This record gives sequence, C-alpha cells and structure tokens, in this order.
Amino acid sequence: MKKIKTLAVTGATALLLSVGMSAMAYDGTKCQEAGKCWEAKPGFPEKIKGSKFDPKHSQAELDKQDSAMEAMEARNAKRVENFKKSGKWSY
Amino acid sequence: MREKKLSRLTKTGSAALVSSVIGMMTVGAAFANDKLVELQKDEANWVMQGKNYSADHYSSSKQINKKNVSKLAPSWTFSTGVLSGHEGAPLVIGDMMYIHSPFPNNTFAINLNDPGTIVWEHKPKQDPAARAVACCDVVNRGLAYWPGDDKTPAMIVKSQLDGHVVALNAETGELHWQVENGDISVGQTQTQAPFVVKDLVIQGSSGAELGVRGYVTAFDIHTGEMAWRWYATGPDSEIGLAKDFNSENPHYGQKDLGLKTWEDEAWKIGGGTNWGWYAYDPDLEMFYYGSGNPAPWNETMRPGDNKWTMTIWGRDADTGLAKFGYQKTPHDEWDYAGVNVMMLSEQKDKSGKMRKLLTHPDRNGIIYTLDRETGDLVSADKMDDTANWVKKVDLETGLPIRDPEFSTRMGHRSRDICPSAMGFHNQGMDSYDPERQNFYLGINHLCMDWEPFMLPYRAGQFFVGANVWSYPGPKGDRQRGIGSGQVKAYNAITGEFAWEKMEKFSIWGGTMATAGGLVFYGTLDGFIKARDADNGDLLWKFKLPSGAIGHPMTYTKDGVQYVAINYGVGGWPAVGLVFDLNDPSAGLGAVGAFKELARNTQMGGGLMVFALDGKGPYDDLSVGEYEM
Repeated sequence: MKKIKTLAVTGATALLLSVGMSAMAYDGTKCQEAGKCWEAKPGFPEKIKGSKFDPKHSQAELDKQDSAMEAMEARNAKRVENFKKSGKWSY
Repeated sequence: MREKKLSRLTKTGSAALVSSVIGMMTVGAAFANDKLVELQKDEANWVMQGKNYSADHYSSSKQINKKNVSKLAPSWTFSTGVLSGHEGAPLVIGDMMYIHSPFPNNTFAINLNDPGTIVWEHKPKQDPAARAVACCDVVNRGLAYWPGDDKTPAMIVKSQLDGHVVALNAETGELHWQVENGDISVGQTQTQAPFVVKDLVIQGSSGAELGVRGYVTAFDIHTGEMAWRWYATGPDSEIGLAKDFNSENPHYGQKDLGLKTWEDEAWKIGGGTNWGWYAYDPDLEMFYYGSGNPAPWNETMRPGDNKWTMTIWGRDADTGLAKFGYQKTPHDEWDYAGVNVMMLSEQKDKSGKMRKLLTHPDRNGIIYTLDRETGDLVSADKMDDTANWVKKVDLETGLPIRDPEFSTRMGHRSRDICPSAMGFHNQGMDSYDPERQNFYLGINHLCMDWEPFMLPYRAGQFFVGANVWSYPGPKGDRQRGIGSGQVKAYNAITGEFAWEKMEKFSIWGGTMATAGGLVFYGTLDGFIKARDADNGDLLWKFKLPSGAIGHPMTYTKDGVQYVAINYGVGGWPAVGLVFDLNDPSAGLGAVGAFKELARNTQMGGGLMVFALDGKGPYDDLSVGEYEM
C-alpha cells in the first residue's frame, strides 16, 4: 500500500503504473556511465541513507576487518623476518 | 616454454638484445614453474586440483575406455577418519599420493607401492570455534604442490579453515612455514585449495555470508613472505588495477568503480570473496578466477552495481594486477557467487579466428566464454533454458538484461526464481575434451523463493538477511524432491549441447574426461558413474560408501590406469543431513531441496581407487605383509 502511494506522487511513475510496472523497471541496461548501470526499483529510493532501509552501519564494526588484516600482516612479517635470519619457522 | 617466453618479450620489448637478457632472467626465476608444467603433462601425475594450468580435467590415458569400463572395480580404499563433506581430490606426484580432509584439515601422504602405509600425516590444532563461522559445512577443496628448486625442497601447500596457509615438506611432512591469512573473529575462513604459480602460493578468501570483503593473496614459497594482496571492492589502489585495465573493453567499466558503485562505506563489508578455482596461462603469465557475491544477500541494503564482486578476473601473476575484469552479475540479488571453475582452451571462433579462451559456468546459469588475453566476451549461453532472472546477455554491451519479475527486494517474497542461490552450477570442477571440443558440465537444476530482511552488521556474525527456499527446477520432480541435477556436453562456440542427461540429485562435485571417450563424475546419492563422451549413455557405476562432492582424478602407475574419487557427503546440499536440520528454509534454503538425500546416503569420509578388474598393488599378496 505504502509503496503504491509513494509511486503515485511522481508523474513519471504514475504513467509507469498505467503501462505496467515491469516495462520500465530496473533491467540493468540503462547506464549512467560505463560499468555503472544500477537503478532504484519502482518505489525504492536512490539513496538508502535516512530511508527506512538505512543500514545504520557502525563505523567501528566496518573497520574491524581492516584492523584484523593489518595485525595479521604485521605478525606474518615478523615471522618471515625471523625465518630469514634463523632458517627456522617460529609461529 | 623458454622459447615462447622469449618471443613474447621480443614482440613487446624494445631491442632484441635487451629483451633476451630480461628473458634469461625471467626464465631463471620461473624455473620451478616450468617444472610444474612438465610434470602435469605426464599421466603418472595429477599435480594440481585442475590437473593442469588449463584446469581441463582431461587425461590422455585410454587404458580405461568405452569398451572395457564395465570392468572397472575397486583396487584399494582409504578412510580419512573424519566425517563431513570431502571436496576436491587427492594429488599424485610420482610414487606419492597426498590426501586432504575437511576440518581439522588433516593431510596424509601415501606411498602408492604400498598404499596401506601412511608415510606421514599432518594434523593441525585449530580453534574449534572456526566451525561456527563456516557458512556451508567445514569443507576444504584440496592441496597444492610446488616441485622444489636448489634452495627449497618440494612442498605440499594446504589451507586451514581457521585461516592459515601452511607449506609442508612434501617428502617428510615437516612444517616449512605457516602464515595467517584469515581471522575467524571477523568471520574469515578458508575452504579453497591454494594455487601454485611460479614460486608463489595464491590463496583466496571465504566469508561473504559474514560480510567479509574478498581478498586474494600471494606468498613466496621459499620464505612465506607476502608478495601481493588485492581486494574485490574499495579504492583502485586496493583492488590492484593495471594501467591498461579493461582498455580493450572500456564499456566493462574501468576506474574508481569499487567505490562509486556502492553507497558510502558499504564496500568495506561488501563480500566478493574468492573460494573457487584458478587457471593460469604460462605464456601470458596471467591467472584467472572469479570473485564472489556481495554482502549482504539483502539487495536493498546495498544500492549500486557493487563492483568488483561477481567478476571474472585476468591478473598478472607476478604483480597480481588486473588486466581485465568483467562483472557477470551487477548488483546481485540472488547470491550467484561468481567463484566457479575456469577452463582454458584454444578454439576457432565463429569467424574462424583461433582464440585463447576461458570458459566459465557461473552460478547465475550462464556459461561465459571470454578471450583470455583481452577479456573480450565471445559467448554467454544459458546452461539451461529455465534460467529466468536474465532474458539474455547482450554480447555487445556485456550487460545481462534482467527480468524484473524475478528480481528480489525488501517487502516482497519472490517466487520461482531460477537458478536458486545454490546456482545451476556450484563449486564442482568440470572438464574439457579438446578432441571433441566439449565441456562436460555437472549442473544443478534448482530454483527458489526468496525474501530479504533487514539486519545489522556485527563483525564475526552472519550477515545474510534473506530467507530462501530452494527446490528442484521445472524439469525435475519438485513434489518428490528429486530431479535436481543435469550433466551436459557443451560447445562454447556454437552454444549447442551435444547431449543432456537428467540426474536424481545436483551434480555438485565436477567431472573428469579421458581420451578413452569417458566422462566420470560422482553423485550426491553415492555413486561414481562413467558416461559415453559422445552421446552421454551411462556405461558404468559403482555404489560408494557415501555421496560424492569432489571430482574424480586419474593417474597411471606401473602401467595400470587408476581412477580415484573422494566420498563423504556434505557441503551446502547436505547441511540438513550433516547438521540434522528439518526446516526447509534452514541451511540457507538447502534443507528443503535435499530432504530426500538422507534416504540415499549418510556421512562418510575417504577415498576409493578403481582400476580394470580391480588390479592393484596388493595383487602381490606379499606386499605390506609382516616380515621377520
């Protein structure tokens, strides 16, 4: 219901309803530039930030993988350095 | 090898003198790689999961052929002592066979003169918590082999579920090095087989179902030192693009798309892990693989094309830099993780031009064939006409023309989407017969209902956001829960199928083809089968102890051709059976689709080796006997 109401607001999408939803829906062929052909589906926003679909990701959580990778790279580098010096792998 | 490399350098380089000096230096550095190329030509060996760098799974052996395959019988067997899914296949180098297991990823070396004796074993101690962040059973796709040089002895290389890559002395099993390549506390695991190119060990990543941003890493075999690491999403400097990236096909997209096709920082948890297979062209010095699905499965939470997930990559081996990248499934809405097998071939295209190709049966139901030097799209055919998310792939624009009726989105349960998230093709490593120019595809016939839901991201926790119900496709028997598999012989240039056969269950483990005119594969309900390569007729089968999700392999020892296959059902299709689940949407939608499996097989774990009349090392009864 809510979706239909949102659609009816703009003239273009009202027309869409009359010719059939799927005719102009996102089909992957309308590109803004090379390699960038995504479109919002009828009734969905261009940007989800501030919408009801806002994922509200926590910055701290988003950065945890990067930190984990950096820490592993640093530990591996130490092991390699020691291996090159001693000829024996020490984990 | 050497001549080819030199001539290539001369072509591209400046003065012939300069290039030949560079050529000599390169040849020195690539010595071990050349050795591996030589070893894979000998039918005594099976030195990598794909058999050779073309990953064609094709053997020129024809001792076992159409006429006598009915005489194939077990020669000897081996139990790994572990249950759960046994993917991949053993390696054979000379007299030694190397066998791997699922978690805890034990390795066994066996002397083929007396396979009853274990020469060495390596049993890692891993944090059992690693099991909890494996999306789809605790499988592992196998070992890799590096043939050694004057500095370092030959190595067996393995990956562990807990994120480690380990190099072991191939003769003794002694640890050479062990590096961290994944942290389970942020949801990273490893299930992929390592891949050896030159003196590098290339290793992918797993965990897109936990929001892991995909990465591929190379380690120096001698020292364990990281040579390069590149990501699937984010800034170009982290994705690793060559200066001429996609210059032959600029319409695929080029710069900055790892950021511009995402909203804000969603790319940081954007998936694109690569846990499938590689192929390598020693002349072009490029390797090929596919990056996986974007995270989460809920498409509404990540607007944009989500590049470079779902991409076929052609990368330079030394630097890892990408020369081309073709995104198969922009803005994935179905978890068509694009990690499947890459098979290389040389064939004449429709205009009669000889081309170096790669062929790739994707999860999304399309078989892609690209020029492996330029990335040009040569063909893109549906592996079954019931695939409905896409009307067709436009070869000019390279874009899949989507059918919005089978899209997924918040607030909507999509029905009868084909393929299912499990794909019309999954992790099975298939084969290519260069004589017949047929690809033998082990196919799933699975469709689904799908309904997304909102969820937060917490590092180390699952980040899926969709309920899925998979079931056999329109050509199968949905009511009885069977008819979910197909085997097809496909020509990549004409797009035609030489033959098509239905199977009771999805053909998950891949295929192997031989010059004997045979196509071998294992089934989930516990058979190894052989079909006629020309017409698909079933010529032989044998009931294994448990279902098979790995590929058959073959080798010749002392004049006898053997065919071996892992058994031990598991992986995604068997999660219901392995973890005792009943809800049809459990196991990411697999439980309902495979509810019949438990009436055909139970868990297992081991290897069965076959030969004509069951010939083998113990025909001489004194072998392996106690001697005073």
